[in-house]
Amino acid sequence: MATRSDAPGTGATESLHGARKVGRYALLIFVGFLVLFPIYATLMQALKSGPDAIDHPKSLLPINLTLDTLRSAWTIGDLGRLMLNSIFVSVAVTLGVIITSLLAAYAFAFLDFPGKGAVFAFFLATLLVPAELTVVVNQRTMDSLGWINSYQGLIVPLVATTFGMFLVRQVFLTVPKDLREAAALDGVGHLRFLGEVAVPLCRPTLGALALFTFLGTWNQYLWPQAITTDDAHRTIQIGLERLKIGDIDKLNLVTAGTVIASLPIFIMLIAFQRQLVRGLTAGAVKG
Amino acid sequence: MNRLVALTSVAVLVAASCGSGESIITAGKEPTVVTQPTQPPQITLAPGETLPVGETLPTVETTIAPTTTAALLDTLPDCPTEALAAASGPIELTFWHGMSGPLADELTKLANDYNAGQSKVHVTLIEGTYEQTIDKYLQSGQGNRPDLVQMPEYMVQTMVDTKSVVPVDACIESSGYDTSAFLPTVLDAWATQGVRWALPFNISNPVLFYNKRMFAAAGLDPDNPPASLDDLRADSEAIVSSGAAKYGISVDTNFDGGGGWYIEQWFAKAGEFYADNENGRTARATKVLYNNATGQSLMTFMQSMVTDGLAFNVGDNAGGLDHLLKLADSAEPAAMTIASSATIGGVLTVLDSGQFPQITNDDLGIAAMPGPDGKPGALVGGAALYVVDTGDDARTAASWDFITYLTAAQRQSEWSSVTGYVPVRTDALTLDPLQTTLTTDPRFKVAYDQLLSAPDVPTSLGPIVGPLREVRTVTASGVAAIFGGADVATSLATASAQSDALIADYNSRNG
Amino acid sequence: MKRRWRDFPVAVGMLLPSAVILGVFVIYPLVRAVQLGHLRCDATGTRCREGGWVQYVDVFRSNEFQHALFNTTRLAIMTVPIGLALGIGLAVLADKQIRGVGFFRTVFSSTVATSVAVASLVWFVLLQPQVGLLPDLFHGLIPTLKQPGLLNDPTTALPALAVSSIWASLGFTFIVMTAALQGIPRELYESAFVDGAGGWMRFTNVTLPMLGPTIVFTTVVLTTRAYQAYAEVALLTQGGPNPERPTESMAYLIYGQTSLIKNDIGLKSTAAVLLFFVLLVLALVQFRGLDRRVHYGN
Repeated sequence: MATRSDAPGTGATESLHGARKVGRYALLIFVGFLVLFPIYATLMQALKSGPDAIDHPKSLLPINLTLDTLRSAWTIGDLGRLMLNSIFVSVAVTLGVIITSLLAAYAFAFLDFPGKGAVFAFFLATLLVPAELTVVVNQRTMDSLGWINSYQGLIVPLVATTFGMFLVRQVFLTVPKDLREAAALDGVGHLRFLGEVAVPLCRPTLGALALFTFLGTWNQYLWPQAITTDDAHRTIQIGLERLKIGDIDKLNLVTAGTVIASLPIFIMLIAFQRQLVRGLTAGAVKG
Repeated sequence: MNRLVALTSVAVLVAASCGSGESIITAGKEPTVVTQPTQPPQITLAPGETLPVGETLPTVETTIAPTTTAALLDTLPDCPTEALAAASGPIELTFWHGMSGPLADELTKLANDYNAGQSKVHVTLIEGTYEQTIDKYLQSGQGNRPDLVQMPEYMVQTMVDTKSVVPVDACIESSGYDTSAFLPTVLDAWATQGVRWALPFNISNPVLFYNKRMFAAAGLDPDNPPASLDDLRADSEAIVSSGAAKYGISVDTNFDGGGGWYIEQWFAKAGEFYADNENGRTARATKVLYNNATGQSLMTFMQSMVTDGLAFNVGDNAGGLDHLLKLADSAEPAAMTIASSATIGGVLTVLDSGQFPQITNDDLGIAAMPGPDGKPGALVGGAALYVVDTGDDARTAASWDFITYLTAAQRQSEWSSVTGYVPVRTDALTLDPLQTTLTTDPRFKVAYDQLLSAPDVPTSLGPIVGPLREVRTVTASGVAAIFGGADVATSLATASAQSDALIADYNSRNG
Repeated sequence: MKRRWRDFPVAVGMLLPSAVILGVFVIYPLVRAVQLGHLRCDATGTRCREGGWVQYVDVFRSNEFQHALFNTTRLAIMTVPIGLALGIGLAVLADKQIRGVGFFRTVFSSTVATSVAVASLVWFVLLQPQVGLLPDLFHGLIPTLKQPGLLNDPTTALPALAVSSIWASLGFTFIVMTAALQGIPRELYESAFVDGAGGWMRFTNVTLPMLGPTIVFTTVVLTTRAYQAYAEVALLTQGGPNPERPTESMAYLIYGQTSLIKNDIGLKSTAAVLLFFVLLVLALVQFRGLDRRVHYGN
């Protein structure tokens, strides 16, 4: 990314000082407070006992913190299992998407074959179809396959996306034709070319796609809700709701559950911030 | 930008003017009129009586338990209970249930005891909410269904129409099971057209929860709670005017509460049918009957309670606790509410925690649900166990074995004592731990007595309607409008018409 | 000619996995749903009767669908412009190289880590009338918070849901806008400054046009999210307080717990296909309508 030492955006080359700086900081703090407030309140409630969590406004003070509620939520909601399910499904789908996207993108970028246009249109068409439409029929398909409430049911339908294919194809298209032809003359087959040349080229994009897909799968709600029937296979997004039943004074069990459910993602995002930005902006800031 | 705005506004206007004013459930071509095949009327003959010569078949006798019509039962799947002895174990069964929390824990314990006590059958429990269990069951094709499933009381007709279950009557007949100890209304709540489809397991009915302390403060006798709706109003007036509480009673518009189920209860108490064809039990129900004088006066009464400030409407009550929480509200509490007897245990535990100083365990009184003119009785709520027709004789027999285990006297005693559900059979009351529980805390017996007090007439069994859940939902909408001040006659008429449309549509798809 | 076929076996091998998955789980459902959409079926989906293609028209014109369409449109109108404005505003706000801005950038992006389910549950607890934080603190100012609760009042239920949705999408919008901002060449600002343009003028004449494609992209994403609203409705209001049901979105009409058509796979398909068409029309309108206004300014 371009590094710029001077103020970008609406400012020009002078740096801020004086009242403008103070004003800017004040605004930043105010807005930051508003955005962070729900997260902070949630965190505090999750770290307190049931009665303390509803004792407002004292509930906002970082006093009398305990891990008990988190532990209870973990046990009562069987969050360990739900997390494992989410992680397993998300990782599997991510791997699947990477592989299928690589293969499909390679075919469209480097190969020429009859019917290429029609197949491409086929892929394009799938971009328009929303999940809300496919769930109805996919549920029945899963039932006939016997894949209701199974890992393969959760994973397989998500394992190929046109978005992933587009993303990788974008990078592959930047490979000069001569490179490919030279390699072909050297007797380099397609798979070798893919593995030794194409993949290393698009590694940052693959990273972004991986993160984007992982996040998307982790957050899925409608599809897991539709086909899982027991805790052995439920993912954490749909399992959290079970913590909702209970007395009002134990409502912070739900809060604790949301904290636990978000933790892996928060950690991942802090570790992979750049890939995240790349993944999210892949569709936006391009020509 | 202007063109975009113009285009969008035109689109919106077109879409808006497109409205047909019809409900989504009437979409599609009119179904070809299906004439209901007239059911052969059941004739119950007392021993020794013969059909008078020359007499045409009489209309259906209004006995409470139509005896099993052998003809109909023959067309339904068999229940070969003897297959269990012949089979070699262990037979693996899956049981889908809708219990959660401590209820699920107790059910799991019972199942574990069963598994440990013999080696022929092994039952695995799959937990979900009632809604989830229903959805999953309906979506499952034949190969993916469980062996047993627990379904709430509003699912009877739907379960019958899935053509996927073995009626328990077949099992009762095949094994010679003795049902004499069962409460008759309870057994027959799950019977339609002379066939009993499921065995009740966890039942409840609505009871009155009231704060004795507030009653005393209002000058009312804490041991004499209101029995009729008029008493309810009088007591509420006393409570509110004396300042003992802000409201007399808290009400809700949940489909399983004040918006739906309680309406059915009140009709049963009034001795009237809620749906035609004798509440859908002699033949398929084709319409609801609640848009009549009884319904109108009932709803007018409830509306006036709310508008006069005697009752507080907590709303949809999706969590199922809001009306109870109103009793413990620190600022503007209510002195009474009507809630399911299944919640008594949980409520007492919460009260014991001391969280709500204005109402303690001792302050809570439980009494029969007040009804029109104080007539007694209540409909059976809760859920029952169905044997799924898996085509495998051994599994069917094993499922029946497990069901009889769960509904045996000793288990019902334990189950009721722990959960607060009403036992399905009378002989459970004389067994511990239930016997002790009832002696120690007679509040748990109120729901049971209320069930027993129901008169021996067909209206004491609730409605069996295909889309009962949806009918309750639209009725609840109507009740919500009424509590909000809408005209009672119009709201009831709308709800009734919508319910009729739902039923007609259901029948056209399931006839 | 022969060369075109040389790659064919490899192409098949490489495309087959994606094509099969997409075919079976995306294209086939689309086709089948359209087929099912003219049937009326029983609860198990095994016995169906013909409803005719007029079923599509009937469902579109029905009260429930129109109502859901109206609700969903209201939700989109509430969430998209505000979400966009906030995203751009925050990105611009945090776009100065002052000390600690990295911290603020992280804060503003933080909601991208919350899924819709998590965000909805967070707001559910915050708004709970009896024990929630916001009702306890502010019910003097806004009595509806406690009585009967923002989510239980027919007028405030949908706006409350919109707030939860906007907050959840804020991180995403912020990140996308920040990345786009950083792609704007500094020279453009400098030349505008030299021309005497003030802060606001620079914003409207340089920043906004250059953000054009990103704004289009974000608008499409946010609008699609609004029209697909399901989890937030399921977790916050289950279709909204009866009898008005102001929060029943189209997706919830089809899949929700209290849905009247839950047990008829035919009607569900009809409604789902109609939802698909609505999304399609929206995407087209947005791409055509908004894209045309985007210039690159060089």
